[in-house]
Amino acid sequence: MGSAPSRRGWAASPMMWVLLGFAVFPFIPYAGRYLSLATEVVIWSLFALGFNILLGYTGLPSFGHGAFFGIGAYAAAITFLRLSPGVWGPLLAATVAAGLSAMLIGGLVARKRGIYFALITIAVSQVFYFVAFRWDEVTGGETGLSGIDRLDVGIPGLLTLKLANGLAYYYFVLAIFAVCLLLIWRIVHSPFGRVLQAIRENEVRASYLGYSTTVYKWGAFAVSGVFSGLAGGLYTLLINAAFANILDWTQSGNVVMMTLLGGGTVNFFGPILGAAIFIVSRDLLSAYWESWMLAYGMIFVLVILFIPSGILGLVGGKKQTILR
Amino acid sequence: MMELLSFAMNGLVLGLIFAVVAMGFTLILGVMQVINFTHGILFALGAYFAFSMQRYVGFWFALILAPLLVGLVGLVLERLVIHRIYGSNPLFGLLVTFGLATGLEELIRMIWGKTGYSVAAPKFAAGSVDLGFMIYSKYRLLLAALAILIILLVWLFLEKTPYGAIIRAGASDAEMVMALGKNLPRMRTFVFIIGSILAGVGGVIAAPLWSVRPTMGTAILMPAMIIVVLGGIGSFWGSVLAGLIVGLSTSISVMFWARISDIIPFVILIIVLLFRPRGLMGEKSVLEV
Repeated sequence: MGSAPSRRGWAASPMMWVLLGFAVFPFIPYAGRYLSLATEVVIWSLFALGFNILLGYTGLPSFGHGAFFGIGAYAAAITFLRLSPGVWGPLLAATVAAGLSAMLIGGLVARKRGIYFALITIAVSQVFYFVAFRWDEVTGGETGLSGIDRLDVGIPGLLTLKLANGLAYYYFVLAIFAVCLLLIWRIVHSPFGRVLQAIRENEVRASYLGYSTTVYKWGAFAVSGVFSGLAGGLYTLLINAAFANILDWTQSGNVVMMTLLGGGTVNFFGPILGAAIFIVSRDLLSAYWESWMLAYGMIFVLVILFIPSGILGLVGGKKQTILR
Repeated sequence: MMELLSFAMNGLVLGLIFAVVAMGFTLILGVMQVINFTHGILFALGAYFAFSMQRYVGFWFALILAPLLVGLVGLVLERLVIHRIYGSNPLFGLLVTFGLATGLEELIRMIWGKTGYSVAAPKFAAGSVDLGFMIYSKYRLLLAALAILIILLVWLFLEKTPYGAIIRAGASDAEMVMALGKNLPRMRTFVFIIGSILAGVGGVIAAPLWSVRPTMGTAILMPAMIIVVLGGIGSFWGSVLAGLIVGLSTSISVMFWARISDIIPFVILIIVLLFRPRGLMGEKSVLEV
């Protein structure tokens, strides 16, 4: 699960490679044109990394994390339309709203385990779906909220970044992603992160060591909600809108899939690889075959059944995973 | 007042359908510890099978045949895929069945098309009947009677037959059941088939109430999950009780404030869980480790 902080010199290099890869992507001939798709990959990578604090590091099987992504998306859209049209305001609102919701829900589910935890996270996340769907005045109901333009950001008089431009927005997202990547790395390798891993390995033992495991699980839930919400806010700005289907539970399934597919349970960088493969292959599949969901479902099953430790787990020869 | 009564009756009927579907869900969850996302698909298949065969064999035969066919689908699913996930982390089973359900829903679309069909109630149950205190749809009454009959049959089977006893024992201590010489894998397959049949029968009887469409499986899954947690995982009467609560509260809230009717069951669930962490009738079980 990554290395100790003292070995960061070694570990810093894959992080550099990841960021470098993303940074040069727009200049790759042919592929570089798919900027919107690439931006989506970066955003979902952030979401999956945040989610993995909970799944991979704490071992909590949340199946309702799409809720925080969705709350972030709506918070950004509502803030843009009603409070302050801009970039930083909506993104801040997305982060705070998702963080607060995650704290609230985390308080409810932190004592639960196993099946109860999974079922209750699904149920609670559905509440937000219905709220978005029915509360027309605020969320726009079925039609959703649109017209969220990407305005310019920058330091007045010194530098302006026209985010309406796809390339500029890609690098903007990438910069935020880089900061978050570093933050999440620090979090999971901090003493706090160590306790989370101890809870994953053996919660009873961790509690006997004097850690209040409920509080730590709660914390993990909230922290992962913060990053999920920020990702949701960035997504709203990418598609210039927020729709209720963003809160659909299949989104929660998708983020779990990305995290596992890449190998998030055995490698810190797994969720990034998973998100990239997932989004690109979904895009290709849906472009060529109307009934691509059939293939998607079957591939999903095969991946979970036969490579539960994900691609990086397979490459690294690790078959053990929290799933088994 | 009359209006309230008719909403309450509709809620009761809805609750009984929910209870039948949730019973199968909780049986599979309680015995195999699998959160079965394909349960909704099996429900939808029940409705589609009945819809396709009713023209040729009539209502009663379809009522028997369609669930049996769904049971067969359940057998295939269990033998091919689901038996591999017993004893793993709950997320594992949840994800496998989630993938299966996603794929199967698309398969339903490919076979029967994207649009929904409305199913007519059988001729002998068309129209309404005067109950003395209100006039009510004959088909809904028939449906309620069928649902109650099914609930009683399942209860009799679980409580009064030796096989039911083995299943209940398997839910509390699978290893011990195996040590006593019972064929555990076969029992699990059997339980999965029973659960599938219950989902299928729910689909058959619900078909004339709602239109038959590909998403109906996903639509029933969420109430089923809420009911199972609300009633207490693995608790038979718990899921019946919770089914009725969810059905009634959804239906009655439509009358007062329709927009929140989808959320009411969740609110009830959250409040109940704050005071009774294992649901209304749940007991401490192997599921929490």
